[in-house]
Amino acid sequence: MSATLEFLNAIQQSAIGSAVAKSNHLVGATAQIFHVLGFIILLSAVLLTNLRLLGVGLRDRSAQQLAGETSKLIWIGLASAVISGLFMFFSAVELYYFNPAFAYKILLLAAAVVVQVLWFRKILSTETPNPVVARIGALLSIGLWFSVGLAGRAIGFV
Amino acid sequence: MSLIPAFLDFAQSLQDSAFGTSLAESRYAFPIVEGIHLLGLSISVGLIFLTDLRLVGVLLRGVAIPVLLRQLRPWVLSGFAVTFASGLLLFSAEGATIAVSPAFPAKFLFIFLAGLNALYFEFRLAGLAPVQENQPTLPKRIRFAGLASIGLWVLVIISGRLIPYLP
Repeated sequence: MSATLEFLNAIQQSAIGSAVAKSNHLVGATAQIFHVLGFIILLSAVLLTNLRLLGVGLRDRSAQQLAGETSKLIWIGLASAVISGLFMFFSAVELYYFNPAFAYKILLLAAAVVVQVLWFRKILSTETPNPVVARIGALLSIGLWFSVGLAGRAIGFV
Repeated sequence: MSLIPAFLDFAQSLQDSAFGTSLAESRYAFPIVEGIHLLGLSISVGLIFLTDLRLVGVLLRGVAIPVLLRQLRPWVLSGFAVTFASGLLLFSAEGATIAVSPAFPAKFLFIFLAGLNALYFEFRLAGLAPVQENQPTLPKRIRFAGLASIGLWVLVIISGRLIPYLP
């Protein structure tokens, strides 16, 4: 067994991991609820800015302004999703580790976060971003976050 | 009430149909429809959350509410259309199986209440001066409608997620 897997299993068998794993299935359901709500909050903020970059949705403000006003929501949503996600992961490490949908989801999530932090910092550093760069970034961001959602939903089916 | 058995019979006949069965047993189609259902509701409920946060007065305070509603409406409605269509497909595949969960009728009760709240806002509150004139402080009724909307949609999502777990 790889060292990574041994390490992850050790966490699962630790006090917290085994407590969650043996608990009532409603504890896992509660984690899922925080996970889905976190995703929705995060996506709403990302979507609002991306629609604006595409020239649609709420056009009353610039993309820069919308991104600034909704950045707190992105962090709250991401925190809720990540914390509940870690909770679920450590309750059943091997289950997720060997699930291909989970692997795709984490890769897509990493890509989505990188695009969010790097590309968007560039696009939103100016009041009037280059329209082509803005549109590509918006579509890429939406595509990646939607894919994270789809991959996550697929975990239970694979 | 003979309505409930009739409804369950109808759900069962859908599930037993060729379409319902093939969807339920499909390898890719069913997970994809579930995923589309999630994305549709994320779009509609997510944008509604943003609108509600505006009504409560914590977000996008500079934006006039009528403008916000008008410009986001097509996206909220599109999200709902996708959610509803995918929901119908999911129901045809497994409606009879999940209808036994108390979370299932609870979900639709909360959807109904959220809809009532939205209609109440649209027809009784949206035309009021504080909303139309974008006054900095909104009356309690309007802020409450925003909070009620957030609360009800959260309950919809919780109910939906609990369907496989209850009982």
